[in-house]
Amino acid sequence: MGFTTVLSLARYLFYIILLVPVAVGVVGVMLPAVGFFPALEQHSLSSEPITRLLAYPGIAKMAGLSLFTALLATLIAFIGTVALLAQFYQRKWLGLIQHGLSPVLAIPHAAAAIAVAFLLAPSGGAARVSAAVTSTALPDTDSLMYDSFGLVIVLALAIKELPFMLLMALGILSQPSVKQRLEGQMRVAQSLGYCHQTSFLKIVFAQLYRQLRLPILAVLAYASASVEIPLILGPQNPPTLAVAIVQWFNYTDLSMRFQASAAAILQVLVTLAAVTVWLIGEKIWQWRFCQQLASGNRRWGSVFVKLLAGILLVCFTLATILLVLSMVGYSVAGYWPFPDLAPVQLTLLHWRSALQALSQPISNTLIMGFVSTSIAVILVLLFLENEQQSDIKRASTSLADKLLFIPLMVPGVAFLYGLVWVRQWLFADALWVPVILAHLIYVIPYVFLSLAVAYRQLDVRYVHVASSLGKSPCQIFLSVKLPILFAPIMVALALGAAISFGQYLPTLLVSGGRLATVTTEAVAIASGASRRLTAVYALMQMLLPLLGFVLAWWLPTFLFNPAKRANASAKRNPAC
Amino acid sequence: MTLSKMCIIGLLCWAGLTGQVSATTVQFFGWGGSPQVNQYLQWVSKQTQARYDITVNHVKLADTSDAVTRVLAEKAAGNLANGSIDLLWINGENFAAMKQSHLLLSDWAGQLPNFALTQPDKNPSMRMDFGVATDGQEAPWGKAAMVFYYNQQQLSSPPTSLAELLDFARQHPGRFAYPLPDDFLGISFLKYAALALNPTRQQLLYQPVTDHALTRITQPLFDYLDTLHPLLWQQGEFFVRQASMLQQLFSDNEILLAFSFTAAEIPAAVSRFDLPKATRTYAMSDGSLSNVHFVAIPFNSARANAAKKVANFLLSPEAQAYKQRLDVWGDETVLAIDALPAAQQKLFQVQSHSSALAPGAYQKLLAEPHASWAPALRKAWYARYGARL
Repeated sequence: MGFTTVLSLARYLFYIILLVPVAVGVVGVMLPAVGFFPALEQHSLSSEPITRLLAYPGIAKMAGLSLFTALLATLIAFIGTVALLAQFYQRKWLGLIQHGLSPVLAIPHAAAAIAVAFLLAPSGGAARVSAAVTSTALPDTDSLMYDSFGLVIVLALAIKELPFMLLMALGILSQPSVKQRLEGQMRVAQSLGYCHQTSFLKIVFAQLYRQLRLPILAVLAYASASVEIPLILGPQNPPTLAVAIVQWFNYTDLSMRFQASAAAILQVLVTLAAVTVWLIGEKIWQWRFCQQLASGNRRWGSVFVKLLAGILLVCFTLATILLVLSMVGYSVAGYWPFPDLAPVQLTLLHWRSALQALSQPISNTLIMGFVSTSIAVILVLLFLENEQQSDIKRASTSLADKLLFIPLMVPGVAFLYGLVWVRQWLFADALWVPVILAHLIYVIPYVFLSLAVAYRQLDVRYVHVASSLGKSPCQIFLSVKLPILFAPIMVALALGAAISFGQYLPTLLVSGGRLATVTTEAVAIASGASRRLTAVYALMQMLLPLLGFVLAWWLPTFLFNPAKRANASAKRNPAC
Repeated sequence: MTLSKMCIIGLLCWAGLTGQVSATTVQFFGWGGSPQVNQYLQWVSKQTQARYDITVNHVKLADTSDAVTRVLAEKAAGNLANGSIDLLWINGENFAAMKQSHLLLSDWAGQLPNFALTQPDKNPSMRMDFGVATDGQEAPWGKAAMVFYYNQQQLSSPPTSLAELLDFARQHPGRFAYPLPDDFLGISFLKYAALALNPTRQQLLYQPVTDHALTRITQPLFDYLDTLHPLLWQQGEFFVRQASMLQQLFSDNEILLAFSFTAAEIPAAVSRFDLPKATRTYAMSDGSLSNVHFVAIPFNSARANAAKKVANFLLSPEAQAYKQRLDVWGDETVLAIDALPAAQQKLFQVQSHSSALAPGAYQKLLAEPHASWAPALRKAWYARYGARL
């Protein structure tokens, strides 16, 4: 089999893995929603599940809550991202912020939710600090958590979304062609008397937004259907739609599945509505913003940006310190009565019992992460190589970039249950293959996003030189491109593994609960009796992906460094 | 599956062979997931060997329903007198299923000499298993009952009845919680309240539920809950989903009173630092909802007489007292300790943990209502207080 065949096979496989499971899953959910479910002796179509769902008390409130929390969280994260960028663009601080926020990106949603709960609970870190000042003996009975507007959900989602948006934006801004042009334009604006923040908003932001739109919409779609965060932090009367769907699917009464399927379709509509509202808001903003662009106001937005960026940084830093302190504290705490800021005594008991209980889940997690990420990285590399070699470069590029977002846009609750149903009659006995496939659906897009920039920026002159020396495309791919791209490949592996680690719903549903991972165990134990054990589990959840990233940063300098090998005086590695 | 079958066949052959030479071996089938229980059964075997020359072999099950299926299969295969199971640890649903299919030996439990020590006339739960009459098909072994716990440093005198619980909630609004009725402990709280609030109509709860009975029982129940809910943790707007959450809230002093169905888990949690040292466990004076776990003899047991001897030994004050020790198993005795001779009462007076329930603390045990009440109460609760997911 020639290299070209491999490449085009990889291309097809790439599209198949991205699209087929999602499509099959959506169909698998739509059929029960219209009353067709052979396993439960339902062979005829009916509108009963839908009418039953619409008659369900509080269904409008559920949908509304999903819509509201997703939109507000995305808006906050978006404004925060823009403020931070406007304040710190082209400044040293930006690098610091980028490094500080990257670990947050790697934290699974479940761990983030647990961490926020630790901070905001009436007896949590924040309350202890304030109790130390006011010397209260008992925790407050009024709690910030579980409020019926879902404001805590908004907070947790925003905390998770902001780093993603910021890193996506930085990725776009670091493209050499974009970077050079923008730097010139910024200089011109500033020489015309526009202050730094205003020039960013009027020049960079306007160009950045077009490319940032798709990632933002993906974040918005994800937020509108997210399960872990509202499950741990959200209200229950009613909960968000996605949480209700999961609960209904888990009912022992199997006939609830019809209603759950109908609700999954409603979830797709809610997600679509969220995207539509965002796009309408975008148009309104555009109209207002266009007037501002030409207003000549040199200081427009600068005070606001300065203030917001400052507040954000202080809050984020404070919250992170408190969070880490309270989680680490609980994980080694003996007795720790409420108003005390530190535990009465320390013990390693919780770590010992958690490590004992987690040995199987950890190995499951590692195997899943390793296998799915390796497949994803190989597939994406071959896909990108195919893209570079083929003539249809332009069309394929934009198509792939858009299709990539399909698994990120279609709510997991809407297609995963359908996928489970299909799995049961296709691979009834297989356990690992379907789970890894389900992970791949989520791992591939992130690996692609992380690799594509570096791959497409690769200096073509290396290829030209190698070709002129008589190397075949396959040889160039293996011994020129891959070594140069070693560092970004490692980062992509770490990111992919982190995404795989964090998967809750796909692991739980597709394995039918038979494969426990650190994440599924952590979500289960978060509602358990021991806050100390929960802290250990959540810390484990954060440490595993971090370990991956540390390896990814450290390995290239140690293991394989072509620049070093060709003497330090050699030309700067374009991939770095 | 085949491997475990072979093991069991092997065991049985071995048991049969040795049985001819010396002692009888009683095949005790029971859940084997707890090291404490397994160790206790090893102790039992030593005792019965010394006393009756009977060895108890614990066949450890992952799920008791496996044993139910086994007996059913034996019956279907025509094995009517040489079954593989002699004694079976069972209650609730599995018992109801076996009773319905006539898989158990009848009218033997009441004749055990030690059965009288349970004072079955005062404690109807000794003859009722989740609302199903045992008809002498199983002998009580141990029990779990609802206990409440509080932090001595925060609360000097905890409420001892459902009425006092409401007073407590008024004095300390937001400091009590119970889980959603989907949770085992949540529905148990509703059953306890239904029984305690309907002292004159309790017998209704021990018969299959009817619409009329449901209305009569839930009227005082909902009146009570209507008053209680705004005084609950989170003003009754948010209920914890799992019972285990109560322990977490309690350990953070978010709530000052909590309850559990496993009294032994409280001192264990104190040792794990998950509960404060000042935690004290007690039982309510207007009754503690309790369910009993039993041992039963399949209809086709080959050694039914030996099994009865073992069941009787399990009910002896000595075996019950040893089982109740916190360092052994911590399982509550089924005997009515007050009625025992003083010397035997002493056996039970080993209090090794200040957070544990004092022996004999239960003042009145409330048997589980008929099995049909749980879904009916749950549905009525959701209808009144809204869907919570």
